Amino acid sequence: MDVEVMRSYLPLYRDALLLTLRIGWQGVLLALFIGVVCAVILHLRLPVLRQITAAYIEFFRNTPLLVQLFFLYFALPKLGVRVGAALCGVLGLGLLGGAYMAETIRGGLESIASIQSESAQSLGMTRMQAFRYVILPQAVSRSVPGLVANVIFLLKETSVFSTISLMDLMFTAKDLIGMYAKTLECLTLLVVFYLIMLLPVSVLGSLVERRLRHAEFGP
Amino acid sequence: MKKVNKFLALLLIGALTLGVLAGCGKSANEPGSTAGDDGFRTLDEIKESGVINIGVFSDKSPFGYVDENGDYQGYDVYFANRIGEDLGVEVNFVSTEAASRIEYLQTGKVDIILANFTVTEERAEEVDFALPYMNVALGVVSPDDAVVTSLDEIGPEDEVIVISGTTAETYLEKNNPDIKLQKYDAYAEAKTALENGNGVAWANDNTEVIAFALQTPGFTVGIPSLGSADTIAPAVTKGNTTLLDWLNDEIVALGEEEFFHTDYEATLLDTYGADYEDTLVVEGGAA
Amino acid sequence: MRSLGLDVLWKGKNFVRLLGGLWVAVRISLISVAISIALGVVIGVLATGRSRVFKAVFRVYLEIVRVMPQMVLLFVVYFGTTRVFGWDLSAEFSAILVFSFWGAAEMGDLVRGALISIPRIQYESAEALGLSGGQVYRYVILPQTVRRLIPLSINLITRMIKTTNLVMMIGMVEVLKVAQQIIEANRQSSPNAAFGLFAVVLLLYFAICWPISRLAGYLEKRWA
Repeated sequence: MDVEVMRSYLPLYRDALLLTLRIGWQGVLLALFIGVVCAVILHLRLPVLRQITAAYIEFFRNTPLLVQLFFLYFALPKLGVRVGAALCGVLGLGLLGGAYMAETIRGGLESIASIQSESAQSLGMTRMQAFRYVILPQAVSRSVPGLVANVIFLLKETSVFSTISLMDLMFTAKDLIGMYAKTLECLTLLVVFYLIMLLPVSVLGSLVERRLRHAEFGP
Repeated sequence: MKKVNKFLALLLIGALTLGVLAGCGKSANEPGSTAGDDGFRTLDEIKESGVINIGVFSDKSPFGYVDENGDYQGYDVYFANRIGEDLGVEVNFVSTEAASRIEYLQTGKVDIILANFTVTEERAEEVDFALPYMNVALGVVSPDDAVVTSLDEIGPEDEVIVISGTTAETYLEKNNPDIKLQKYDAYAEAKTALENGNGVAWANDNTEVIAFALQTPGFTVGIPSLGSADTIAPAVTKGNTTLLDWLNDEIVALGEEEFFHTDYEATLLDTYGADYEDTLVVEGGAA
Repeated sequence: MRSLGLDVLWKGKNFVRLLGGLWVAVRISLISVAISIALGVVIGVLATGRSRVFKAVFRVYLEIVRVMPQMVLLFVVYFGTTRVFGWDLSAEFSAILVFSFWGAAEMGDLVRGALISIPRIQYESAEALGLSGGQVYRYVILPQTVRRLIPLSINLITRMIKTTNLVMMIGMVEVLKVAQQIIEANRQSSPNAAFGLFAVVLLLYFAICWPISRLAGYLEKRWA
């Protein structure tokens, strides 16, 4: 193990980490947005939109991100639709994540007893108000553990971005190995940087989860 | 106590399953058997096993690619098949990417790399090169409507496509650090990206970019030669002298029958025409 | 309208090759899932036990699997072990090792979850009826946990299949790599092959994973 070499690689890995985080978080936000919209559509059983949403969720949950990215990045331009690599990464992650988030949030929504909605309406709220002020807040807090798991899953999945020329952590490691063959050093840094990126999220997730459970069931 | 015993039994069953399945996986996948303690197989070990593992490209037409019947073809592959024939062993082709070529040799996963491997000083520290069999320099290809004829034309926002682990990448990183690079793992990806207009140009071995421009309408090689004139040679794991010596003798011997000219005519003529034959081919290891 | 490159599929053995590539991914998944279930059950049962040491080790193991991308693990196992220990693992063996390592942790956690979800009182009632420790597991606990686990294990299969295409990165020729090879060999004659092929690969994956996850969903509802 050559510490000097590892030190000289640090700036490259730091840049890669920042890029991974930037695209990762944009993707996660997009996924959350898509997820909430889809979950609401499914929950309110809006006609037509519901079928489209269900088809979208099934499709993206049952195909690999790598293939989705290849399709977005390499195949779509053949039809004249050109998407840059970074946007493609965000889109790919958002579309994949949206399908997972939708399922998680819908699970949360369904766990809230329908009597709550009825009670709220009998208090004079409209159906939308009951949904907005009574159901949604509870559903979101119940979905948090699942959502955190999804976030970690999505950030992990960014490792396949390397195939569409995004200089993420995985790519940096592969590229350096290819140029200078310092395999051990590169792989060690790779593992360390993924830990730096994801361990805090994972730990934070567990804390939030405990907190929420505490709020719901008491100590 | 009873419970503990049961768990141990279960654990054992699990471990055994793992072992058996792993055994299947291994024997099914590795016809060439594994490397010895030195990280490589000597000439005798290869002959004994009856199979030689040769790393080639599987997506780099016309040098190494797979045809519609699933067979490996191309200039490098033609040579690889001859090596197998003369050694009296079967050739097991291993599909490699540019960036993993050194890694494959150093970890003994292949015996020879025959994947358009340019001889450079940095690489020679990691692997042993045999005598060369082809000439190469760098070249840059770009779309007809915006031909790049000099690296100075590349703007600060433009991106140049390269393949990770190639000499073009190292050269541009070293000599033109200001040029933004867009890096891919595989040749197929880089070419598709260029066709799709994701970069202003693609820098690679000139043999490769010339072939691409000849095969693909709408693209021109604006910079036919860049950097120093280099050669392409087979490489073996560092220290594998028996195999290296045999390869060198083989290349010299093949020179007498003008083997690489035959190879060119069989695999490259369709792409390059006859004009490039003497520029590209190196016979008998002599430049 | 230019051709979308679907014609290339029927040239030579191309389509059969694609299916062969898909089979590589499915085969690795099935082997890994089998190993994962076997090991996962053992790990899960142990994790509900009293050993604090084991629980701590299990937490760390779970956490590693949770945060480390499978592609990183693949690289570490395939290239790293050769460097450090001089082991020469084939790509397929490395893949099975990594996916089993991942799957066993997931399965272990599922088994643990299923076991602790069974109320304490069932154990006690069963024992009060005179069943021995082994009998309690055999007749009371296992039938219930298995019902809960089967849909989850089936889901694990689809997740494995969706992840195994990463083996392309360590040099295995699976369906996506075959697609690239076909695109490359036909770049001249059908420049749009990339569209047709990647679309077909996407559909092939869907055709395999969708029925499996539907089955899992059906069983989950039925046995819930």
